[in-house]
Amino acid sequence: MIITRSWLSEYINLDDISNEQLCETLNSIGLEVGRVVEYDIPENIVFGYVKECKKHPNADKLNICQVDVADEVLQIVCGASNIRKGLHVAVALEGAVMPDGMSISAVKLRGVESHGMICSASELSLVDTNDGIIEFDQSIGNIVLGTRLRDNHYLQDTLIEIELTANRGDCLSIYGVARDLCVAFDRSIKSKSNKNTDETSIGIGKVLQLKHPASVDANLKFKVLDIKNISLAFLISLRLAQIEYKSLNTADAFAAYVTHECGVILRLYAYEYFKTKEQNDKAVVSLESDTNGFLCVQGKGRASVVGVMQEKDSLFNKNEGLAIAEASYVAPGLISNQMSKSKIEKSSSFYLSSRGSNPDLKMGLKLLFLLLQSYGDIDIFGGTAEVLNHKEEEVVVLKLSEIYDIIGAKIDKKKIVNILQKLYFNLEKSQGDTFIAAVPKFRHDISNKQDIVEEILRFTGIDNIRPKPYLLKEANRLSEGYFKFKKLKHYRHKAAYNGFFETIHFIFTHKQELARYNFDTVQSELDIINPIVTTMDTLRTTLLLDLLNFAGQNKKVGNQNMGLFEIGSVFTDKREEIVKAAFLYTGSLEQEGITSNTTSMMIDFGHFVQLISNVIGEVTLSKATCKHGLGHPYQCADILQNNRVIGSVFRLHPTVQDDFDLQDTYMCEIDFEALSYETVHVKAYSKYQSSFRDLSLLVPKTMEYATIKKTIQDSRPDEIIRFYPVDKYEDKSLKNLTSLTIRFVLQSDEKTLQDEEIVSCMDTITSSLKDKLGLELR
Amino acid sequence: MKEWYQKIQSAGCMQELEELRIAILGKKGVLAEQFAKMKNIENEQKAEFAKRLNIAKSEFNKLFNEQKTILQTRELESLLKSQQIDVSLYSTTPNSGALHPVMQTMERIVEYFTSMNFSVEMGSMIEDDFHNFEALNLPKYHPARDMQDTFYFKDEMLLRTHTSPVQIRTMLHTKPPIRMISPGAVFRRDYDITHTPMFHQVEGLLVDKEGTVSFANLKFILEDFLKYMFGEVDVRFRPSFFPFTEPSTEVDISCVFCKGEGCRVCSHTGWLEVLGCGIVDENVFKAVDYKDVSGYAFGLGVERFAMLIHHIGDLRSLFEGDIRLLGQFV
Repeated sequence: MIITRSWLSEYINLDDISNEQLCETLNSIGLEVGRVVEYDIPENIVFGYVKECKKHPNADKLNICQVDVADEVLQIVCGASNIRKGLHVAVALEGAVMPDGMSISAVKLRGVESHGMICSASELSLVDTNDGIIEFDQSIGNIVLGTRLRDNHYLQDTLIEIELTANRGDCLSIYGVARDLCVAFDRSIKSKSNKNTDETSIGIGKVLQLKHPASVDANLKFKVLDIKNISLAFLISLRLAQIEYKSLNTADAFAAYVTHECGVILRLYAYEYFKTKEQNDKAVVSLESDTNGFLCVQGKGRASVVGVMQEKDSLFNKNEGLAIAEASYVAPGLISNQMSKSKIEKSSSFYLSSRGSNPDLKMGLKLLFLLLQSYGDIDIFGGTAEVLNHKEEEVVVLKLSEIYDIIGAKIDKKKIVNILQKLYFNLEKSQGDTFIAAVPKFRHDISNKQDIVEEILRFTGIDNIRPKPYLLKEANRLSEGYFKFKKLKHYRHKAAYNGFFETIHFIFTHKQELARYNFDTVQSELDIINPIVTTMDTLRTTLLLDLLNFAGQNKKVGNQNMGLFEIGSVFTDKREEIVKAAFLYTGSLEQEGITSNTTSMMIDFGHFVQLISNVIGEVTLSKATCKHGLGHPYQCADILQNNRVIGSVFRLHPTVQDDFDLQDTYMCEIDFEALSYETVHVKAYSKYQSSFRDLSLLVPKTMEYATIKKTIQDSRPDEIIRFYPVDKYEDKSLKNLTSLTIRFVLQSDEKTLQDEEIVSCMDTITSSLKDKLGLELR
Repeated sequence: MKEWYQKIQSAGCMQELEELRIAILGKKGVLAEQFAKMKNIENEQKAEFAKRLNIAKSEFNKLFNEQKTILQTRELESLLKSQQIDVSLYSTTPNSGALHPVMQTMERIVEYFTSMNFSVEMGSMIEDDFHNFEALNLPKYHPARDMQDTFYFKDEMLLRTHTSPVQIRTMLHTKPPIRMISPGAVFRRDYDITHTPMFHQVEGLLVDKEGTVSFANLKFILEDFLKYMFGEVDVRFRPSFFPFTEPSTEVDISCVFCKGEGCRVCSHTGWLEVLGCGIVDENVFKAVDYKDVSGYAFGLGVERFAMLIHHIGDLRSLFEGDIRLLGQFV
């Protein structure tokens, strides 16, 4: 909603209010100021009158003008196409400095002296109303030649754009904003509509017949006018340009101007459009509902949809002749609801009607006629054709104490009464400390106690409310959600400490890409209807692709070594939300630097699993094949914790690695819900010294460590508390065998183990490996 | 003797010193030679001779030990010197990962409200119309419900556009008093320089008996919270509109970049909008069948907070996994 200071001043006295104060007040009453433009016309720009205008002898496009600026008549050469004798113009005198920094001085143009410049709007940094130089008229007040433009408040104006919230349709007009400001500044609104508009003795009934169904869900008023002559005044063009309205013609401009001023939706129809032979050339206006339930005004065809749009053909299109003026109102809830059901073509009037236009139709028509009379010559036929759907007044009852409770502070009752009355609430029926408030019809947003409290709060000033701590009853609020959040935090922090950068990706992904790498996709009957771009046309079922894309993007900008992780939601094919944790490591493990070797070590399976284990705790791996297409077929494993598969880890397939232009890359995805977040329970541990023994075994290359591990596990004496592989060695002399060294940790709870006891334990292991697996010591 | 003394004191290394020790105090050394002479000396002179020799011996020992300490110190010194490094080569940056600024900010926000005895409630991203809109006093024709703003699924479910449905669900399965926040990702169908289709919110709700929760309470906690998040800033409340609260206000802080002087970030207003809040609309309570209660609610965008706190200029950079950004949070 755009307002200007001069336009606003037609309804409220702002003489003692600075622009800064005005903006501050608008903000404080909930009319958020989004943009302020202060037009500042330079010194030495004055009003002038073109007394003479003749062609330049040596230039086709130039004219030599004699311009009266009161003290003298200046000869000015002008290149504008619209320059002509008899215009009132803006003259930049010698010595003027234009907004773009150019100084005006006497010059010779093609041999002719020019003492000054006739200005266009853009040269003065004003909004453009027309091509070429500005053509002033009396609409901006009596023009006194030689006086400065900057002293004219229509020109030296301030434009303020208000970002209105959806509920404040009542402020979608100059009048509406002024009405709110009148409460804030505690002054009364200036009235225009009490001026008289004379009507002719011919009644409207002779020229117009209104046909309508018994009940119509809207209010409409029609008047007929005989327009003798109208022309667009400069002020109207200027203000419509300021509010960025592009009018279709003069009649449309007048209607739009008044609508912006007072908030009533107004239309001017061509009388011809409704004339019928059957009725002796009388106009017949019929109101009919269309198939979508919208109320339409019908003449020869559809003339308009009430509250939505007007057909071009029905516009009053001339400067004279008979016209029908219409003011309409339809409840915002009704019209928006209809539009949400069936979308039809709409114009800017829908924005106004759907948020709440001004229901004071009489005022709208009156202002339109006053304006037409001041810039033209019209006769108005007597009487009005109308349908009025009388709406019951909304009444809200609330007690003073309820106001105190909601705001949390006591506010002077007199002040409350003053605010509500200034806002046109009718409080006549109120009793004692109980307010019975009849809501003004233009306030569609007010229907309950809290709405009224908001009005009081707005004008009391929120700054004047003292903050007060809420007194609470102690309660344990450590909910399930809190522990979920804590668990998430716990693992995220561990991942970051272990060299992974946290990433966040949208939950949207490209279905095609999921399919390309053989991931599940959400069933199409459960998928998104209205994706924002095709590359985000479905929900992701994995975090892996996002990490991979991020790694690829980083590589493109020169970062090739990194760890990334995300803990986030993915969806199953049945669109159930589950939380996963995914990790990626690509490139060199070490940071390049003085401590690393020149050929720094690439990430490998073992190191990657170690990093994952650092984050999620002890893991067991078992051989697996990836279902998706990202994994290396021979370097892929299920991750187990407590004998349960919780995820998988794999090396990135070399061809995918090439797709993303990455170095060696390892990835892992884990079901986050499966990770534990429990208190550690300490196990009893031996006070006695532990011993270490290594066994080097000759193992067939085809045999998995898992088999050996299980055999040891099964025959392990209690004294062996832990064992793990420490070395693997192959050479030609070993042929098909590998030398595998396993370290055993031996310890007893009761004593320090003697050598012979250790030897006996180790013998048990060696013989069991030999008997069950046929393994020899090296 | 003097000559020997000087030799000891000028010994340059341990080996030279050891050789001198053998030459003087060894079995065939100078002193042994002198002691051997004793048997030829007359008795009355013998004692005097022996005494002098013993003095010399202890003098030698003393000198040896002194010189030994000097040499040892000198040798250690030179060993240490040989281990000298250029420490300036080792200025370094950490080699760990880092947490995402949005999640860090979310943690800080949650930390504040849990310390103020709010519970944390989580909900699912896929919601139905009732919990996301209808129960929140967003009638069917409300502009915010336009297809432009919401992602819908073919089965009429939708991606939540705010975390408010968590509040509705919490109200439905518990009883007042309620004091909760709901952090999480939300979705709007908007994608440009200042909008991403997914972002994070933290919303709060307090519900207690009628007449106990006021706007002044809301003002108290939010002013305190914003000072905790942004330091000493001015806080301004402006009347605004949200379907689920009445009165509704937006909350601004004085610009953290220009300290309220006016700059590009605050569009020269000196203020930054950071929060929306209000007194819970009675229609919301009606939707969950609560009677005789009062409450306040607030909501904020975590990305906006993260951007203001960490001076991040581009919203979209938060969703690009770019370690040029993330690497700065190590």
